[in-house]
Amino acid sequence: MSIFLRPRPRLSRRAVLHGLGGLAIGLPLLDAMLGKSAHADGPELPKRLIVMYTPNGAVASNFWPTDPENPTSSAILSPLGLPGVDDHRADLLVLKGVDMLSALSGPGDAHQKGTGHCLTGTELLPGDFAGDSGLSAGWAGGISIDQAVADHIGQDSLFRSLELGVAVQGASVRSRISYRGAGQPLPPENSPYTAYQRLFGDSLGDPMTIERRSARRHAVLDAVADQHTRLSAQLGREDREKLLNHLLGIEAIRARLDQSVLEFGGECLALDQGEPIDPDLVANMPSIGNLQMDLLAMALACDITRVGTLMWTNSTANHVLSFVDPAIVEGHHSLAHKGDEDTVKMHQNTLISTWYATQLAGLITRLKGIPEGAGSVFDNTVILWTNEQSKGNNHDSRGMPYLLAGSAGGYFSTGRTVEFEGDVGHNRLLVSLANSMGIETNEFGNPEFGTGPLPGLTV
Amino acid sequence: MRNLASKAFGVWQFAFMTGLGSLGCAEDLDGQPESCSESDPGPAPIRRLTRVEYNNTVYQLLGDSSRPADAFPPDEEAGGFDNQAAVLVVSPLLAEHYMNAAEDLASAHAPTLVQALPSCLGSTTATNACDGDVEAFLRSFGTRAYRRPLTDDEILDYVDLFHQGTVLGDDLYSVSVGLEMVVQAMLQSPHFLYRVEFGLPESDGDVVALTSYEVASRLSYLLWNTMPDGALFEAAEADLLRTPEQIEIQARRMISTPRAREAVKNFHRQWLHLDDIEPHITASGKNLAVYPDYNDELPMLWRRETEAFLDYAVFEQDANLETLFTAPYTLMNAELAEFYGVTGPTGVEFVRVDLDPSKFAGFLTHAGLLALLAKPDRSSPIHRGKFVRETLFCQPPPPPPASIPEPPSVDESQTTREQFSQHSKDPSCQGCHQLMDPIGFGFEHFDGIGRYRETEWGQAIDASGELTVTDVDGPFDGVVDLAARLASSEQVKDCVAEQWFRFGYGRGPTEEDSCSVDMIQTAFAAADYDIKELIIALTQTPAFRTRHAVYPETP
Repeated sequence: MSIFLRPRPRLSRRAVLHGLGGLAIGLPLLDAMLGKSAHADGPELPKRLIVMYTPNGAVASNFWPTDPENPTSSAILSPLGLPGVDDHRADLLVLKGVDMLSALSGPGDAHQKGTGHCLTGTELLPGDFAGDSGLSAGWAGGISIDQAVADHIGQDSLFRSLELGVAVQGASVRSRISYRGAGQPLPPENSPYTAYQRLFGDSLGDPMTIERRSARRHAVLDAVADQHTRLSAQLGREDREKLLNHLLGIEAIRARLDQSVLEFGGECLALDQGEPIDPDLVANMPSIGNLQMDLLAMALACDITRVGTLMWTNSTANHVLSFVDPAIVEGHHSLAHKGDEDTVKMHQNTLISTWYATQLAGLITRLKGIPEGAGSVFDNTVILWTNEQSKGNNHDSRGMPYLLAGSAGGYFSTGRTVEFEGDVGHNRLLVSLANSMGIETNEFGNPEFGTGPLPGLTV
Repeated sequence: MRNLASKAFGVWQFAFMTGLGSLGCAEDLDGQPESCSESDPGPAPIRRLTRVEYNNTVYQLLGDSSRPADAFPPDEEAGGFDNQAAVLVVSPLLAEHYMNAAEDLASAHAPTLVQALPSCLGSTTATNACDGDVEAFLRSFGTRAYRRPLTDDEILDYVDLFHQGTVLGDDLYSVSVGLEMVVQAMLQSPHFLYRVEFGLPESDGDVVALTSYEVASRLSYLLWNTMPDGALFEAAEADLLRTPEQIEIQARRMISTPRAREAVKNFHRQWLHLDDIEPHITASGKNLAVYPDYNDELPMLWRRETEAFLDYAVFEQDANLETLFTAPYTLMNAELAEFYGVTGPTGVEFVRVDLDPSKFAGFLTHAGLLALLAKPDRSSPIHRGKFVRETLFCQPPPPPPASIPEPPSVDESQTTREQFSQHSKDPSCQGCHQLMDPIGFGFEHFDGIGRYRETEWGQAIDASGELTVTDVDGPFDGVVDLAARLASSEQVKDCVAEQWFRFGYGRGPTEEDSCSVDMIQTAFAAADYDIKELIIALTQTPAFRTRHAVYPETP
């Protein structure tokens, strides 16, 4: 059995891949792909970018590896190096000494900036989102790296990108990392049930029903899109932009109708999500997180998307994460603000970060379980683990706890820690990610904070 | 006139630069506005329906009470409210939700709506009579969905869509599917999802009057958070919503209805953070070793207490602003009375309970707010002081230093007040905390779950506090004293008016709004700060009745 996504008018790369019948693709071919656009000729394995976000910083002394040869030699990262299927030591690239320099500029408080900048690398727009202490800001001021990558490699997928959340609360700049452009946030879906219905629902049911529904949607959305186009032409600039952004969403639905439905098979299977539980309950975060990661992995297995973000809560989230440890009775943000000498609370913060690392390990294990070419989907993926700040109790944006997992098809040289000296803006990390996905650029976000990829990451 | 927004910032800049000084120099130097009739209306960006407005609107339009918008991504929040036009956007995800909701609503209500097309029923092919029914339906239903009559072109497009739909069902000819598709398209139309305004076409110049239909929508969404009712549509059709007097007649009719009470509740929920009480308190919980009486049911009762009190005061007692701060009564049901240790209420309904006026004052001594502005195991003078500054005085505290020093350890054998006093001795914390903590200390008679106490850790409570950088500066003792001071403050009155401006107009005041702000403040004062009169005043301003002409070519 294999995966069948049958887009019309042309065959997807994944279908091409399966057409090769498990042909072993050797390293030379992978090398040949390096630095090339995803639209390059010849058989190639699709690349994928995943971003995992967790909030409120990390305890530095327990995050950074003690052994430069072993990226999991720290309390927090240890779950990524457990013996057995969760031993991902060889696949990690710990980036020490990268600073979110942009967070020292522009509107907003530290959490707002850290969240809005983390994937955009540029200043926030001015606006009315209330921050700490009277500061305020608007949405992020530019496109986020996941969306830039989606523009490059996601155009042919049923969903150009997938935004998932686990108990993300609020709807402001503190709760969004993904942006289609300046002022165009993409909200994460917190419910794995709604997300499943969204991704796979249109493919469930008998073909006649699907065909008719598709024809009806076409007619309705054509009418609605015409109204948007006509009205937007009559409006002033800001209102017109708002309507045109809305229209992008309508067009994305229409484009999917033009593509195809997906057929389950091979690794691409309908998911059994079990009895629904409440996605808003903090106590359900472990289960909901698992369901979201199952869904993300399945979306990759079915190749209906190649770009995903997974937000675990939001910046300043005060969720009481007592499922991590029953001794944790204070909200995460409050805990993160405790002084370094408060050893009990520092330990609890460390446990929380360690729990998140365990989740990341689970996500990697899932992707390694999806065969592709001679290896797995994970081989062609890179996962960025990001945060909005490095340290919770002083909002530091230097020495961000950045971790890459996966080589993105042999682009990154993994299994080590790379340390940087001096001011190294995280824009350069975003450039590295763009390059790894085949985007040839030297800049991402505001180049004032750094240009060119991070040195020494590639093979 | 008092220019609210700029004054608040002026005060802070001054305080921050001088490290706390007197209010003295912050008086506004602007002159009187020339003439309000010629004044600028301020910006009027296109407004997307909020989730609350969407639910209310489909309830009015279709009689649908399924609250489909509850499943939408949450509304973007800015300036303290969820209805601020500038940040309300439609992401691809929300566009999909709109489609799904439209499909569900159309399918649920088509069987009823199709009764409006008698000539189409039983038909197996398109007929002129059926088209006539469809057109009549579009003229009536469409007017309500678009909140204005459809143009002939729009009617033609919808008739065309109806025809397309009749052949896309399971049967060869399906009236129901045609109608469903029309309803689906209407519910996804920008004319339904946004409040679109162009003003009167015959107006000259940059400032144009709104059409009566546009005014009807402004009135209904401000006062009711939903679409216009039959009476408003009639007034709009007769073009009787043009003068301030005509608008006032409608506003007065509307404010005495239950829907207005819901809208005012919606305002208070957001302004006073009442909608945070349940999620925030239950998310963190309370420390049961310190507060054994706490359980997760209480936050819901707490929120309802404050909502019930404000609703009762504003609508049953015609309360003015002062009363909201100082009323020596509240509303409780039996369960909440047991928590407070009060006798009186015996059922599930919230009823009035009179309280000791030497200890309690208006909403400021309600458990929900005080428990929200507290930690799991103690009160939080910082959060309470910040709330008073930010929410009641409209004075956001100045920015903290770029890198916050590590907070000192606390000694849990000291009273909360002692711990926090120590904390703000640090010179780099002092500047800001002196603006918040001395106000917050005034609440110390109320513990972390908002209950009155005389002692903490066996030591007598010291609830003396001090107001600085306000128009009512000076020392005070306890919340009752503070409440009286707040009730007499011009700054607080201006702040409340500003919050209503934001909620009512979906945007913050700008320089252009000086005349509208002045009109609102003057009317509010003239009515002795009656809340309902403040809302009526919002409908009388240039910002409400007029707008800038729309120039599509504007770059």
